[in-house]
Amino acid sequence: MEKKEQGSIPVGKVQRAAKFIKTGAKVGGNYVKHYARKIGDPSVSRDQLDEENANDIYSSLSELKGSALKVAQMMSMDKNMLPKAYQDQFAMAQYSAPPLSYPLVVKTFMKYFGKSPDQIFDTFSRSAVNAASIGQVHQATLKDQKLAVKIQYPGVADSVTSDLRLVRPFALRLLNMSEKELNHYMGEVEERLLEETDYLLEVRRSLEISQECAHIPHLRFPDYYPDLSSERIITMDWLEGMHIKEWLLTQPSQQARNQFGQALWDFYHHQVHELKQVHADPHPGNFIMMNDGNLGIIDFGCVKVIPEDFYQGYFSLIKKELVADKAELDKIFYDLEFISDLDSPEEKRFFKEIFKEMISLIGRPFHQDRFDFADDSYFDQIYALSDRVSNDKMFKKSRQARGSKHGLYVNRTYFGLYSLLNQLRAEVITTKPQWLK
Amino acid sequence: MEKVAPKKTSKVDKRAKIISSFKMYILENGKAPVSVFKFCRDIKIKEAEFYAYFPNFNAIKGAVWQEIFSNTLSILRAEPVYNEYSSREKLLAFFYTWIEELKHNRSYLLAIYDTEGLPPKSLPEELRGFREDFKAYAKEVIKEGEESEEIAQRPYITDKYDEAVWLQVMFLFRFWIKDQSAGFEKTDQAIEKSVNFAFDLMGKSALDSFVDFAKFLYQSR
Repeated sequence: MEKKEQGSIPVGKVQRAAKFIKTGAKVGGNYVKHYARKIGDPSVSRDQLDEENANDIYSSLSELKGSALKVAQMMSMDKNMLPKAYQDQFAMAQYSAPPLSYPLVVKTFMKYFGKSPDQIFDTFSRSAVNAASIGQVHQATLKDQKLAVKIQYPGVADSVTSDLRLVRPFALRLLNMSEKELNHYMGEVEERLLEETDYLLEVRRSLEISQECAHIPHLRFPDYYPDLSSERIITMDWLEGMHIKEWLLTQPSQQARNQFGQALWDFYHHQVHELKQVHADPHPGNFIMMNDGNLGIIDFGCVKVIPEDFYQGYFSLIKKELVADKAELDKIFYDLEFISDLDSPEEKRFFKEIFKEMISLIGRPFHQDRFDFADDSYFDQIYALSDRVSNDKMFKKSRQARGSKHGLYVNRTYFGLYSLLNQLRAEVITTKPQWLK
Repeated sequence: MEKVAPKKTSKVDKRAKIISSFKMYILENGKAPVSVFKFCRDIKIKEAEFYAYFPNFNAIKGAVWQEIFSNTLSILRAEPVYNEYSSREKLLAFFYTWIEELKHNRSYLLAIYDTEGLPPKSLPEELRGFREDFKAYAKEVIKEGEESEEIAQRPYITDKYDEAVWLQVMFLFRFWIKDQSAGFEKTDQAIEKSVNFAFDLMGKSALDSFVDFAKFLYQSR
């Protein structure tokens, strides 16, 4: 899909609301079209309808930028929650959205550095080379060093809260969640999104995590330049390479796939189990397959700090023998808020069954020394299970949100990681922390 | 005869002195001086000398506006990248720079225009000079836009574009005076949006095709 250069984000709440209404109307229209088509030809499948809906929702969301796009990205992350056609469209949202005008870029530079980009850098690209969800990236050079300069759209931080309120009805429909469940998680999402608008924090975290992970083989982190960064601007090294989809088109060898896959796995392993804070945004746009075989990691905007008690509960679930030990399992379910005293015995039994099934499925890579993520049947099982869950009456009727809010980003991270590894078709050594062996 | 050159500089100095003293007076007192006589006594010049430069206080206010405008232009023109800009970008850059220049004078402008406000319809006398200067500049930018076909040529309407852009100047000024956001980020957004909207209207659009089509239908009846 060709993106035309867009000069403005519809930031006013009314404008934004209008955008959503427009999409809503379009989606409605697609349903009408779908049923009209269906009358003529009963073999028309839902896939086509889904694709049209995804297109319309995507084009609305990509114009919105800011947090709305972020939510679209998240939905595309939690692949298993979306029908197949939505996935491709949302995956597109992951690395292309229309850019802002150059004079505004100059203005932002003047504001924070008192100098224009041309005065600071030897060269500076006039148009954005890449659009991130809440900012855009320009390419620059300084003393032979190629740099990536990320600039945040003005007003993004202020609009996070009102954006999320607008996304709600969409999230409700697309994610098939109950109102209560959504509320439970929205607070967490808002917190992460607000953090993401703080570029100074991002530079600090990037430096911290990249130092901590420097020892992992086949990983590359860009250097960051705090002097050339501010609340709205981040300057870092430009990493030369390809995004995952492009790279896969070059038909890389299995060995190369495994190398990237292993680097990815080791990177997440170290963060989750050693640092207890994790790059919680594993979408393809944040990884660069570099020509020298290293995996480049950019964008530490979204970092989830994992609280110790949550960590203990969550990861002890992947112990293989645990599924057999009823008493201990019950306790963890309570701790992680999967079940509570408000549940009837029938509900308790039902949810325990479901969660056990989920855990043994999601924990499966951990139960083996090596795991082949190219195994599509494994992913189909996950999708099938979540399909079943999201359509189950018990869940819809459920009076409460299930699962600790910390789980939201940790789950998202693992789904993201698994789905990246699946795209790579990599086989990796699935290391586990000592205490889980 | 040999005194001509220094006299000229002192002339400029005096004009600048009157302007800056007037601004200072407004900043400190929140309103214009009661009379030219009192103002002149305060800054120690002869009243007759004052009239050599300005007929009244309004003319000083006008000079301040024009000064802000010409500063904006010289900053823009000093920026090498400015010449490579499209018309849309030129106007965007103009407004961003202009607002920056206004910021240096915000207290002064607030003292004058926040209490009385800009009259919604009739143009305050002191803005006339600025308006002429700006329209000349806008015409230039619009002409470039027409040449590059960024702006569609439409009979009668095209001639009014400079007037329309001037209304935008006033809109943005009013917006900025009332803007409460940190760093006036809302004003930045207002600029981005209003300029894009204006240029989308001025560019070739569905409207042109519609007029063309309607004309065709009418003629081939």
